[in-house]
Amino acid sequence: MSDRETEDKKLQTGNTQRSQQQPSGLGINTAIGKQLKAYYDDVASEPVPDRFLSLLDALDEAETASKKNDRE
Amino acid sequence: MSAQFDFRKELITIIPNLRAFATSLTGSFDRADDLVQETLVKAWDKQHTFQPGTNMKAWLFTILRNEFYTQMRKKGREVQDVDGIHAMQLAGHPEQQGHLDLQDFRRALEMLPDDQREALILIGASGFSYEEAAEICKCAVGTIKSRVSRARTRIAEILGVEGDGDYGPDSISSQIIGVAPAA
Repeated sequence: MSDRETEDKKLQTGNTQRSQQQPSGLGINTAIGKQLKAYYDDVASEPVPDRFLSLLDALDEAETASKKNDRE
Repeated sequence: MSAQFDFRKELITIIPNLRAFATSLTGSFDRADDLVQETLVKAWDKQHTFQPGTNMKAWLFTILRNEFYTQMRKKGREVQDVDGIHAMQLAGHPEQQGHLDLQDFRRALEMLPDDQREALILIGASGFSYEEAAEICKCAVGTIKSRVSRARTRIAEILGVEGDGDYGPDSISSQIIGVAPAA
């Protein structure tokens, strides 16, 4: 979360058009900002499901196999 | 080959964010994971187009979003019909027992137009800048800003928080009644 705030600050310095502390009004200290993060993190904090790791393994293997075929 | 490994590793670190974004787009955990799966396949196929050192998270979000809207266009009405049951599916998520605030918030999010909800998530939760969000959504920075602002006001109205105006219970329930059948 502190990462995100640092990121916010970094981004805001590049964008001084509307200089407010939190131009989006969605900072972690606002009620909506807090709920938005809770909503998002409810899913984003879950570990990566195995199905995706298996998928990447399969894609990796398929690619290796096709490269081998190309060479032959 | 080590470049390949890095791509995979980076990809994995971004999957949790992709799932959260996909959930907000589809309104369903199952459909979200299907969307993420399709996104990963697409990303893998076009990994040579990714420029290392650029924002991989934004790159993946763009692919996921394109995939979602392509599917929406293909399915047309079918997607619309499914939308009605999204809120119920999410409300039934077993981990949500006792998280009434989160359920209310989820319902409020569901009531937003797609473009506003998307902007709100990208800026308020995914941690993108307005510029990045504009690029992901292929629109002007000012458009993202106004979508976020409208979304924020609307959510505050629905939830009756943060004193963004005097909104009594009557206006809240009429919004709920007004929006539910249209979905």
